[in-house]
Amino acid sequence: MPLFGKSQKSPADVVRALKESVNALERGGEKKAEKAQEDVSKNLVLIKNMLYGTSDAEPQTDIIVAQLAQELYNSNLLLLLIQNLSKIDFEGKKDVAQVFNNILRRQIGTRSPTVEYICTKPEILFQLMAGYETQEIALNCGTMLRECARYEALAKIMLNSEDFYNFFTYVEVSTFDIASDAFSTFKELLTRHKILCAEFLETNYEKVFSHYQRLLNSENYVTRRQSLKLLGELLLDRHNFTVMTRYISNPDNLKLMMNMLKERSRNIQFEAFHVFKVFVANPNKPKPILDILLRNQEKLVEFLMKFHTDRAEDEQFNDEKAYLIRQIQELRPVPGH
Amino acid sequence: MSEFEADNSHYSIISTLGQCYNGVGVVYLAKHLPSGQMVAIKKFNMDMVKDEVNLIQHEIVLTKQLQHVNILNNLVSYVNDSEVCVVSPLMGFSSCRDLLNVHFSEGLPENAICLILRDVLEALEYIHRRGIIHRSVRANHVLLSENGRACLTGFRYSCPIIENGKWQKHIHSFPSKLVRPNLNWLSPEVLAQNLRGYNEKSDIYSFGILICELANGSEPYSEMTTTLMLTEKMKGTTPHLLDCTTIFPDDHDGHGDSALKSLLHNQAKRKFSESLHEIAALCLQQEPSERPTACQLLTHPYFRFNRKHMHLSEYLLPALPLSDKVAYNREDMESLENIRRMSDIDINSYEWDF
Repeated sequence: MPLFGKSQKSPADVVRALKESVNALERGGEKKAEKAQEDVSKNLVLIKNMLYGTSDAEPQTDIIVAQLAQELYNSNLLLLLIQNLSKIDFEGKKDVAQVFNNILRRQIGTRSPTVEYICTKPEILFQLMAGYETQEIALNCGTMLRECARYEALAKIMLNSEDFYNFFTYVEVSTFDIASDAFSTFKELLTRHKILCAEFLETNYEKVFSHYQRLLNSENYVTRRQSLKLLGELLLDRHNFTVMTRYISNPDNLKLMMNMLKERSRNIQFEAFHVFKVFVANPNKPKPILDILLRNQEKLVEFLMKFHTDRAEDEQFNDEKAYLIRQIQELRPVPGH
Repeated sequence: MSEFEADNSHYSIISTLGQCYNGVGVVYLAKHLPSGQMVAIKKFNMDMVKDEVNLIQHEIVLTKQLQHVNILNNLVSYVNDSEVCVVSPLMGFSSCRDLLNVHFSEGLPENAICLILRDVLEALEYIHRRGIIHRSVRANHVLLSENGRACLTGFRYSCPIIENGKWQKHIHSFPSKLVRPNLNWLSPEVLAQNLRGYNEKSDIYSFGILICELANGSEPYSEMTTTLMLTEKMKGTTPHLLDCTTIFPDDHDGHGDSALKSLLHNQAKRKFSESLHEIAALCLQQEPSERPTACQLLTHPYFRFNRKHMHLSEYLLPALPLSDKVAYNREDMESLENIRRMSDIDINSYEWDF
């Protein structure tokens, strides 16, 4: 036993103590809850220090960390902590996220045991996603979710769940910090794993894009701008070729973009331009798309000539704009119609 | 305590207080109508910014996850039109930089400095323990409340120490070009951008620069070119507190700018305590590991005083805190509105034919 300072508790001891205090916190009771909250925070700090080390101590050895992780799996404590997150104090909530994120990254060779564990306990993910509905824990859950989204297996569970569609509400909540955090997670889920994302978007095209439409029409400026920008990125990603082809065949989508081109906000105009260009550049324009472009041929050319003329230094933009103008000028009705 | 809601109609703007984020945002004095409480609202016109969007979001989300009496908290943040609005408690004395500019061009009195520094150290101790490096400790990021509490703000430049699930001993994420305005406060190891990287001790160096800034009144290195400042820092030359122990008669007797001479002449008459000189020197050491931590600095006898007997607002006279009696500044508001209107281009003349 060390002469100075507290003796080191074993991983099993700390996990047991933490579980007992979380259980006590869950049961409630006014006085007891306060004591339980203190105990939870204290034990969380102990676990966090084992994983990260402190200014005086190095992190624990791999063996101890392995034991700790095993205890956390066996005790089902990760889920329990997340279920009771709103009852844990402010700093404790952040410690939960730090412990979770560290354990999640654990690797044995090429295996990620925590990821495998969570695959068998997907409730953890659903609980985390639902966290966006509670102000006090939304950001904590967000950091854990984005860490989870780095792993394809976990991203897949989230994308394929009905709960994923709640993100369309979360990204639009009135508090800016939560909405923008939810958007980061949403974006991560839709872009991180290219092939998985492409498959997801293809299979669920109707559902996803009918929800997405709402974001593009949002009252909230930031939501509108962010979702338009993300749409542009999604459509221009070569993995999403099938999705793009489908998107640019729909005349309603073209109408929306043409209207966004002349929104008040310059940034929205600019982002809309990057989606609009795909419609025009498409060599096989379906008739309804071609018809709209033809009906507005002159106006579009005139409009684009005057569009963001102050971006003289942005070469790529100017090249693209010149290309679009040429394309539109050269549009001719399909013979035989 | 009343609830602050993300509803623009709950806040009535009274006047403009100034700019923030190098002019990207405007700070307003406003009244929270449900409670009658005065608050500060920062408004960022997101349509006018490009790269700063991420910094603004980063700061808002991070600040929400900090809870400390010496860190300025956000009461709520919301979107209204194309503006992101951040509501925070009103800091009656504004920033230390404003105080220096308006009332204390020769520097703050030592009692005030001492109180402010202790609060800043408390904030630094907290964020360092929580794994955050501030990277922008400077007088305009230290705000003072009406009752004399100093709060740290300006977290957009901060970076996490924990990355990839590990506590990093050396950080190599060098601040983006947007950090430019902070160069004079940054430590030599951050500026060096070499493989050794840096850690939270770089904030302690900036804290040392802050001490000199508060004591001397002027922005450190403001009279030098950036390149010269870099060379000086790499050589290990550091600023120091200007008083009778450090200003020699030659300094203010020679020829030159008379305003500067009289400034130096006045500064040469005062004397800061040895402890303050010592603390500044400790913080400004070239070798990061030799600088004390925020936690160690707080145990320095200099910072062990009884707050009850010291009132910051008394030391700050003649400066007075902002109260809710500020008149509505209509002219200001109108010119701002005009600028906003001018920036909209005329696009309504186009009607698409679907």
